[in-house]
Amino acid sequence: MYTAFAGASTPELTPSQVTPAKAGKLSVAGKVVGPVTGDSHSKAGLRFGLKDINAKSRIVQVVYRGDSPPPLFAVGRNVVVGGTYASGRLQGSSILTKCPSKYTASPPKA
Amino acid sequence: MTIAIGAVLAVLAVLLVALPFLREPNARDDRIDQPTDADLRTAALVEERDRALAALKDLEFDHRTGKIADDDYRTLVPQLRQAAAAALKALPAVPASSLGTAQEEAD
Amino acid sequence: MADLGRAALVVSLGLAVYALVAGGYAAHFGRRRLAGSARNALVACFGSTLVAAVVLAAALVRHDFSFVYVASHTNRTLPKIYALTAFWGGQEGSLLLWLLVLSGYGALAVVLNRRLQDLVTWVVPVIGGIATFFAFVLVAVASPFDTQTAPVDGAGLTPSLQNPYMVAHPPMLYLGYVGLAVPFAFAAGAMLSGRTDERWIVATRRWTLAAWMFLGFGQILGAHWAYVEVGWGGYYAWDPVENAALMPWLAATAFLHSVMIQERKGMLKVWNMVLVALAFELSVFGTFLTRSGVVNSIHSFSKSPIGGWFLAFVVISSLFSLGLILWRLPLLKARTKLESAISREAAFLYNNLLLVALCLTVLWGVLFPIVTQLVTGETRTMGRPYYDFFLRAFGLPLLLLMGIGPLIAWRKTSVRALAKTLVWPVATSVVTGIVLVVIGSGSSSPGLIAYTFSAFVLGTIGLELVRGTRATGSLLTLVARNRRRYGGYVVHAAIVLLAIGIAGSSAYGTNREVKLRPGQSASVAGYTLTYTGVDPIRNDPNRTGEYAVLNVTGHWQGTLRSGSITYTGFQETDRDVGIKTDWLRAEDLYVIADFQNGSNVVFFDVLVKPLVNLIWVAAIIFVIGSLIALWPDAREQRRLATRFAPAHG
Repeated sequence: MYTAFAGASTPELTPSQVTPAKAGKLSVAGKVVGPVTGDSHSKAGLRFGLKDINAKSRIVQVVYRGDSPPPLFAVGRNVVVGGTYASGRLQGSSILTKCPSKYTASPPKA
Repeated sequence: MTIAIGAVLAVLAVLLVALPFLREPNARDDRIDQPTDADLRTAALVEERDRALAALKDLEFDHRTGKIADDDYRTLVPQLRQAAAAALKALPAVPASSLGTAQEEAD
Repeated sequence: MADLGRAALVVSLGLAVYALVAGGYAAHFGRRRLAGSARNALVACFGSTLVAAVVLAAALVRHDFSFVYVASHTNRTLPKIYALTAFWGGQEGSLLLWLLVLSGYGALAVVLNRRLQDLVTWVVPVIGGIATFFAFVLVAVASPFDTQTAPVDGAGLTPSLQNPYMVAHPPMLYLGYVGLAVPFAFAAGAMLSGRTDERWIVATRRWTLAAWMFLGFGQILGAHWAYVEVGWGGYYAWDPVENAALMPWLAATAFLHSVMIQERKGMLKVWNMVLVALAFELSVFGTFLTRSGVVNSIHSFSKSPIGGWFLAFVVISSLFSLGLILWRLPLLKARTKLESAISREAAFLYNNLLLVALCLTVLWGVLFPIVTQLVTGETRTMGRPYYDFFLRAFGLPLLLLMGIGPLIAWRKTSVRALAKTLVWPVATSVVTGIVLVVIGSGSSSPGLIAYTFSAFVLGTIGLELVRGTRATGSLLTLVARNRRRYGGYVVHAAIVLLAIGIAGSSAYGTNREVKLRPGQSASVAGYTLTYTGVDPIRNDPNRTGEYAVLNVTGHWQGTLRSGSITYTGFQETDRDVGIKTDWLRAEDLYVIADFQNGSNVVFFDVLVKPLVNLIWVAAIIFVIGSLIALWPDAREQRRLATRFAPAHG
């Protein structure tokens, strides 16, 4: 079952796990770091960085192209960016943010 | 105020939990009604009977709505009737009231 | 006040432990008064949990920010109704809701069935055990009654949760999830008491059906919420939290069908025990998934300590269930077997296999990231194609079976009889298929198959109703005498509508992104959309933002607006989508506007979704069918009362 359907699956990594060896389709779950520049609709794309959610780590540079990022996308928020990793950059095509905090212990930032 | 409410509720809870013992401080028979072997056999037989009667009813309905062909019906009916009769016979001590509902079932 | 809440929960914990321990002792040693006492403890547990719930609800409505929970999830400007829904908006409150529903259901179930003494005396400790877990978590791990010095104002509820869905969706799901604990407890009670006849099934039949109904309706409500409010253009994303509700529902569906085999032939007792335990474990597991952060999903990314406790509970209760089943295997083994591979019993069996297979593939998809993390150190997630493939692989045969099953007789049907019966429905579906190909539905094979199978099923349901009415004389009498069967057919019709809605909107939908400046137009699937300009939000103290306005002509004339709204005080920007539901054309026109910084160009995602509204219609029909099946039947009640009456009074 594992190998048969591994084709339909993509790796989901933290920024510290992303290395050049991991080139290809994958998702990265991390915290957005600024500066956030550009626009997702332009050729140059929306540019930002991702670091590990709970630890110090290297920053993965993301170039995201496509629809505007979802409402909760902002610096400091946790997101999952899907896309292709090549030449030191994640070419992002999808961003998943979480629904308004339901089950975290800390209150949402006002 | 909060303490008063809390106290009242705690007392109510204790009362509710102790109720069976308060009602019958010296119970003659504190045993739970456990079914005897005879009870279990009867229950199983009643189940058999109900199943057989339900099967007959289903057969009738399925035949009337055209799901069972006539010849299949003709072979199955006596089989099921036999099973139902056997189950009914094996229940000598079943009270009349439940026999009454069995009649209701068969119609 | 928080003290009262805390104390009430401690009392609940004590009562739950008493119900577990004293109840277990009483059941094992056959002590009547102690058993009654344990049963009363469950009722008292509901009482004290209710007190805790009232304390929390009152604090929420009064904006008592000395409660950490209230301050975290509400603020002064929040309308009272949403302050109340914040009860289940957070971790601690939703756990309290779980315990409240569990103790309420549990108390009611054991009181209503107290005449089944030898069974209920074992049910009480099982429910007590489950309640003990939740009460413990509420007292020691995640208390809603933590206090602080009250801040001036609370953090508030994120605006995207301030909608009627938040009022209905979570409670519905909870009534479903927790409801599955009742049949589980009765099944465990049956095995513990050593009597594995149908009493426990009959006693819990309506509970299971009701829980299943709430869970199903709650899910479609959630899908509608996602479609209309969250606005990404879809209604189901195979997100772990969505799957968390789907899996127990699938298991419960299988169970509802297979119990009918046990009733008729006394077979599949082991299978039914496994199914009911699976449904319950999946619902607790689902609760675990949505809170623990173990799997990344739209609900949670961060790990929470509560996950560990839930996992432990799932593992322990699963081992308990497994142990029980293995211990009672000799009692459960059937003495009859299947008479024919073409019988209604066999059809139910195939249906069960397909449902459980679908359930397990979804489970595998959900667990995959965790498994890969453990095995290879690298997390991999399953994408949509995996789920879509299996939905089709198992769902389409299930659809077909829904049509064939009712046409087959119990015990066995000759191929001839079946062929004769199938003539009309098959003819209907073939004709439908041809018509569909002519109008262009051949573009999607799965879609075409789904449509023709649906036509087939609707044909069989119609045929059943016609033949049944002819046999009994009136439709009303027919349904009234066989509520479960015909209620079930109505539910099947709802599922067919669901299938048509899903097939239409996914296989035959259109999705185009267009880039427009003010004044420009684009044509999509028969609609011409002209972007006329921006309409900013004015004079609203709570919101800022703007809407892009589109003039639509073609299949429909009118205006659609879509835009971004920022709520004052929150960092969040909400996307508001424009939807035009056309009942006559049976499709939705769905527009998502995307502004670009520094230019007047707007990107519009234009989706046309045929037949999507059948999904929402299906939800209503689903509830109607379930209610018909649930409706108490006086004749049946009397018959069962005498069947299960204790032999000596």
